[in-house]
Amino acid sequence: MSPRASWAIMRHEFRVMLSDPSTVIFVVLIPLLMVAIMKELFATALRAQGYESANGSEFGIPAMAVAFAAFGVGYAGFTFFRDHGWGTWDRLRATPVSSVDIMVGKVVPNVMITVVQLLLLFGLGGPLFGLVVTGSWLALIVLILVLAVSLSAFGMLVTSVARTMNQLNAVGSVGGMGLALLGGAWVPVETMPGWAQAIAPAMPTYWAMEGFRKVILESGGLDAVLVPSLVMLGFGVLFTVLSAWRFRFEETKVYYG
Amino acid sequence: MLHIEGLRKSYGEQQALLGVDLDVSEGEIVALLGPNGAGKTTLVSIVAGLRKADGGVVEVGGVDALSRSREVRRMLGLAPQDTGLYPVVSVRQNLRLFGELSGVRRSALRQRVDEVAQALAITDLLDRQAGKLSGGQKRRVHTAIAFMHRPRLLMLDEATTGADVETRGHILDLVQRLAEQGSAVLYSTHYLAEISSLPATVAILDRGRVIARGGVAELVSAHAEPVVELAFHGDPPVLADLAAERVDGDRLRVRAPDPAALLVAVLPTLPPGSLAGVEIVRPDLESVYLALTGRRYQEADAAGAREPADEGGGAGVSAS
Repeated sequence: MSPRASWAIMRHEFRVMLSDPSTVIFVVLIPLLMVAIMKELFATALRAQGYESANGSEFGIPAMAVAFAAFGVGYAGFTFFRDHGWGTWDRLRATPVSSVDIMVGKVVPNVMITVVQLLLLFGLGGPLFGLVVTGSWLALIVLILVLAVSLSAFGMLVTSVARTMNQLNAVGSVGGMGLALLGGAWVPVETMPGWAQAIAPAMPTYWAMEGFRKVILESGGLDAVLVPSLVMLGFGVLFTVLSAWRFRFEETKVYYG
Repeated sequence: MLHIEGLRKSYGEQQALLGVDLDVSEGEIVALLGPNGAGKTTLVSIVAGLRKADGGVVEVGGVDALSRSREVRRMLGLAPQDTGLYPVVSVRQNLRLFGELSGVRRSALRQRVDEVAQALAITDLLDRQAGKLSGGQKRRVHTAIAFMHRPRLLMLDEATTGADVETRGHILDLVQRLAEQGSAVLYSTHYLAEISSLPATVAILDRGRVIARGGVAELVSAHAEPVVELAFHGDPPVLADLAAERVDGDRLRVRAPDPAALLVAVLPTLPPGSLAGVEIVRPDLESVYLALTGRRYQEADAAGAREPADEGGGAGVSAS
């Protein structure tokens, strides 16, 4: 592996992303809008669970942050499909860089964008909606990092399986939404049917929501987020191993259709 | 510099390469000539490590390209058949990215961007977004990328397809200059006429095999001879002692090593007023192709273009 090559690809990916920042803006503004609309609903749900002084943002901000981060898992794959569409995939492969360099160069920017997206949402949650993090911000940041890694790895797994952009959109975006829903990022897990509650822990998003709840509502520190972080990291490793096993660098990906 | 021996590749039932043998020396330009579907892109893709071979030997600079592809890719520059650029960033950023990935750094990278841009007349375009260029300009930038690290082996796959005359001239000039500096060049094309613009030797690839290899003059003298075509008013007469082929009803085509001698012998024997015209067709690479395959090049090219793309995988690379 060559860190220099990965770094060159990363810088280039950021340049490409910044040429059209609308997606990044979209995934920050829309969740904030949704929190504004659904805050009272979330407050009612939290109060029913015994958090008497909750204003709704304690669930709304992490929920929308997780939901929109999950919704964006397809973006990790988009960078690969886009290169196929632009004819630059084979050009990259014909340079003397390794497959790992290309993967790292393309996936790390997506992890970083997801981290920035999550940090912005939590950072703006206080001034805009009165979000109070009663626990450790450091623990919150750890959760954000492992969630971003885990979701990006899931995006790579989807990319490794999808052959067309339509498949990526369907599995990435809709699948991401499913991850968020079943993980309790749209409505609290406690309000879901029994069968959904039973499978929720199989979602990395469930562990993210669990960790955020402990830090925001129960004054949790690093020790409180250890298990959720390790489980999410485990998901990340599993998704990475599976996508590395399945990914075919020489396979044609169809950008259109 | 490039040594290929017994190279085989198939896509399912479709056999693309059936045992290709080819050598390209340092400083040599080899025009890899063949109609659409001959296997040119498959061959280039295997050398560049983009496809796996089914069997055979490929060595670049003495290094096994099939098992040590990354090492080989340090030595080669490739411009694939389909234009590949990042349209949302500038021309300069495109050149810098691929230059950097090929190992060119800092001031050398800046200098090389300027040199290549000047050679291909794209200096004024360096800070423009690549996606906003014309087709010919994109083609130049696409080709420029392959030159960024002064590769020891340059492979251009149909580099001038769809290019305007000016773009074609710039590309061919730069190819020659790189070869003069000692690089080996494999120049894949299906345009027979283009070969005359390059000081190149020729390898004719047909249906997955190299069927002829050598200089243009050498191939023509070895495999083809001039043809005399006689056009008549009405049905052509029978020419005694000559193997004449009737073409389009009112013309006769006769192979003739010495066209002048043939005309001197035949013209006095023709019925007065029957001859409408005479054409001497000098042999060229198309004649060579016809002699070796029994098929006209244009027809083979068109038939290959009509065939469906292979399932070999990889963006923009088909088995042409």
